[in-house]
Formats: sequence, C-alpha cells, structure tokens
Amino acid sequence: MNNLSDLHIDALAEVFSIGAGRAALSLSEIVGDEVRISVPSIQVINSKDINSATLLLNDGRFGAVSQYFSGPFNAEAVLLFAEDQALKIVGDMMGSQMSIEELAEFEHEAMCELGNIILNACLSAMADIFEFTLESSLPDYTVASADEILHRLKTNSNQPYVMVLHIDLTIEKRHTAGNLVFLLSSSSLDSLISHVDQFLGKIS
Amino acid sequence: MNDICNTLNLGVCAVDAEGKVLLWNDWIAKHSGVKETDALNKPLEQIFSEPVSPSFLAALKNTLTYRLPVVLSTALHRSPLPLHNVSGTNQQPSRMYQSITITPIQSQRDESCCLIQVTDSSTSIKREKMLRAHSEILKKEATTDGLTDICNRRFFDAHYEMAVADAKRQKYPLSIFMIDIDFFKSYNDYYGHVAGDDVIKRVADALKSQLSRATDIVARYGGEEFVLVMPNLPQQVAKQFAEKLRSAVFNLAMPHIKSQTLKQITISVGVCTGIPENDNNLLNKADTALYQAKVKGRNQCVCLPLSEAEEYLEQ
Repeated sequence: MNNLSDLHIDALAEVFSIGAGRAALSLSEIVGDEVRISVPSIQVINSKDINSATLLLNDGRFGAVSQYFSGPFNAEAVLLFAEDQALKIVGDMMGSQMSIEELAEFEHEAMCELGNIILNACLSAMADIFEFTLESSLPDYTVASADEILHRLKTNSNQPYVMVLHIDLTIEKRHTAGNLVFLLSSSSLDSLISHVDQFLGKIS
Repeated sequence: MNDICNTLNLGVCAVDAEGKVLLWNDWIAKHSGVKETDALNKPLEQIFSEPVSPSFLAALKNTLTYRLPVVLSTALHRSPLPLHNVSGTNQQPSRMYQSITITPIQSQRDESCCLIQVTDSSTSIKREKMLRAHSEILKKEATTDGLTDICNRRFFDAHYEMAVADAKRQKYPLSIFMIDIDFFKSYNDYYGHVAGDDVIKRVADALKSQLSRATDIVARYGGEEFVLVMPNLPQQVAKQFAEKLRSAVFNLAMPHIKSQTLKQITISVGVCTGIPENDNNLLNKADTALYQAKVKGRNQCVCLPLSEAEEYLEQ
C-alpha cells in the first residue's frame, strides 16, 4: 500500500481517463448524442477501511455490473450506480422508444451492456498503455443495497485491496455519479504497480 | 459436435481474426437465408444482402483487438444483424429482435477468433407488449365508470386531491360542479331501470360534450350524481358554464312525466369556486350550493364562492 505514490495514482488516473473517453465515444454512437464521462478521483484502499462514504453510497438500491478479468493481474471489476439513476440512464439511452415502466424486461441486459462498455473501455485502455492482454468474463448484473455491497467488499479476504474510481457520466444533460471498483489481491496490486512503474520508466 | 451446434436453438457463428466466417450454424442459416456453404470464409459484413449495424461491427472489432467479451442488448440495439423470423405463411418475414454476445475464443491453430451468439428476443418483447396492453386496459377499467364511460368515483377522489393541491400551491381558483338529475327516483320507478340507465348515460354524454380543456374532468359521483373539476375559471365564468351544463341537459328534451318541474329530464347544479386554503372544503360547499338549487325549485344553478368574505362582497 505504501509503495503506491501520487505519481502512480496520476498515471492510473491518466489511463482511466483515456478509458472513460473511449467509453463515452462508444456510448455516444449508441445514444446519438454527446456523452461525457470523467474520472474525477481514484483511491486505492484496504477493503476493510471501505465505507459508504468512500463509495458515496446512500440509502436505496444499487445496480452493479461485474466482470472478472485475468492476465498479468487478476481482479473483479464492479461498476456501481444507484438503481433509479441507472434506470434513467438506460431510459435515456433507449430514447423515447420505451418508458421506465416498460424497461423491466430489458433493464438487466441493457445495464449489462452499459457496464460492459465502460469496463471494457477501461480494461482496453490499460491493455494498450501497459502493453499486456487481459481476459474477461461476460458481465453480470445484480441489484443490491449499500450494506450488501459493503459487506461483500469487506469480507472478500482473497482480494484485500480495492481501487475505487469515482465516475461522472453525462448523457443528454443528465448527470449521474457512479463508482468503478476493482477488487485486487495483494499480488495483483503489486503487479499493477510494477506495470505502472514500467510505464513511468518509459516516459521519464 | 457439428450436430450439437446445428441443433441449438440460438444462432452460433465464429469468425477469425480478419472477421471471416469459420462457423455458421443451421439456426443462423435459417434466419438469415444464407446457407453455410455461402457464408464460410467470407467476411461477415459481406454475407448479408442488408447492412450489418455499425455498432455490431465496432463491437466485433473491439473483441478481436482486445479479446474482451461484448454484450449487445435488445434494448439498445434492437436488430443489429439482418435476421428474420421465418413464418410458415406467405407474410413478409419480420426483422428479428436480438440479444448478442461476442466472446473471444482460441482456434485450434491458436489464432484469435470470436464466437458470436445470437438469441431471439422477439418472444420476450411480445410478452412485454401483451402485458403492457393488459395493464393499460386494467388501468382504464379501474378508473372508468362502466355505465357512462366517464371517470369513476375512484378516479375523481384521486384527481380532486391533486387538483386541490395544485391550485393551492399555484394559487389559482378551482371550480367544483356538483350535478344531480332532478326527480330521478320517480323516473326509475315509472320508466324502469333500463330507461333510467339510459338517462344517466345521455346526461353523462351531454356533460362531457361541454368540456373542451384537457385539464377538466367529469366523473360519476354516485347514482345520478355527477361532479366536474375545472381549474382556473373566474367565478363569473364558472357560473355561466354551470348554466351551459344545465341547458345542455335541458335541450336533450327527454320526457319525464313524473317530474314536478317541467315534465322532462332536468338537472340542478351547485358550483363552488375559489383558491383552496387550509380549512375550507370546495366539495362540501359545492354540495351546499346543489342543495340550495334543489330547494329553490330545481332545474337551476347556484354558485357559491369558497370563502365567506367573498360571499359578503357578492351580496
């Protein structure tokens, strides 16, 4: 943990903002309107220190899209949005073709796709910049309360570190904040750091 | 292995690193109208006679480049590939709604390729539409009066509460009209219930035909009683409108020989107009106005302001 410097965080922020840009481009093509995604902050913390403030979680239910990926390091990536916000995003993306009430049947699949686009964009940006290949599972969508999410993050003893990216998403003038959480084992975190070091070595 | 692939009730197709087709199962052949022999070794996008959606091609390219799996949902893409539902009849086959996943796989020669799986989501969309249609009907039935086809009491109760809250918040006047068919009981006793129902229907139609704004509603309040809710009318206009309602029913000229007024069907109208405040009740006041119209001899309108202060000014 201590070996993660501000420089590392800056480099990761750079990588994920490239990923966010790619995701925004893909989403714009689907929505047919401007989509903006930014990653205002990144934190890497011990998962036992995680709380609802870290994830900006409030009451209510959250939609979580997760993908397991493997390669030079393994992690579970989880994209979290408040459920009502998530429904509105999907509603916006679908345009006026369907109303929120009519979404039920398609919500899961559409949320999977939204998460898949953002997660893949971030993973592919990492792959390009750190020059490695990642493999990933198909996305899963679940709905859970803040407590359930925190419980799951804290009790994951194999992956004691979490990298939390706050994400701002703007689709058709609707702003939404979410989180992208990477659950990492300590060896995976070390591996990530060494890739960041290599990258920093190349550019310095 | 081939048999299994061809028996699957979903579309399976594999492409190599250049996007050329390696595998084309029976399902996808059937729904695309392209035979396996015509598809193999050709670039996927050139196989179909219609174009493949750009988002599908972008997703495929991404999977081939980054080896990350991709989901294309029905909700956001509808019909990325030109596949059709084949029907037994001569009808024009309809374009199939699809859910697609694209996953990277390794070929036997260790080359990068992609597996594309297509499922037909038409059935779930059909089910969704059917449920929606049912729920629309139920919603309408739950708020409509079966005899007259105007709003029912349940709808009125909910609407009245909202209309009062809106008028209170935005400080505009609200008018409530209570309407009763004069001597309806004697009509029913003399002409029978079937004829009585017909009178209720015709009065409801006459009242409804007077409304022209989307904000106004008429509901059946009880047996032969109706209620109208109209926002934003000055008291004088509300009074004139009540008179219009009365004459609309009068002009139906339905005979009623047991009526003690005019030997035809008439209504009494009580109106209350005002900006709702805390303790006053528009509905009660409109009811009082209706009672006064009855006492004064029926077939007439009585208009009361909501607050006592306004009443003194009127007098």
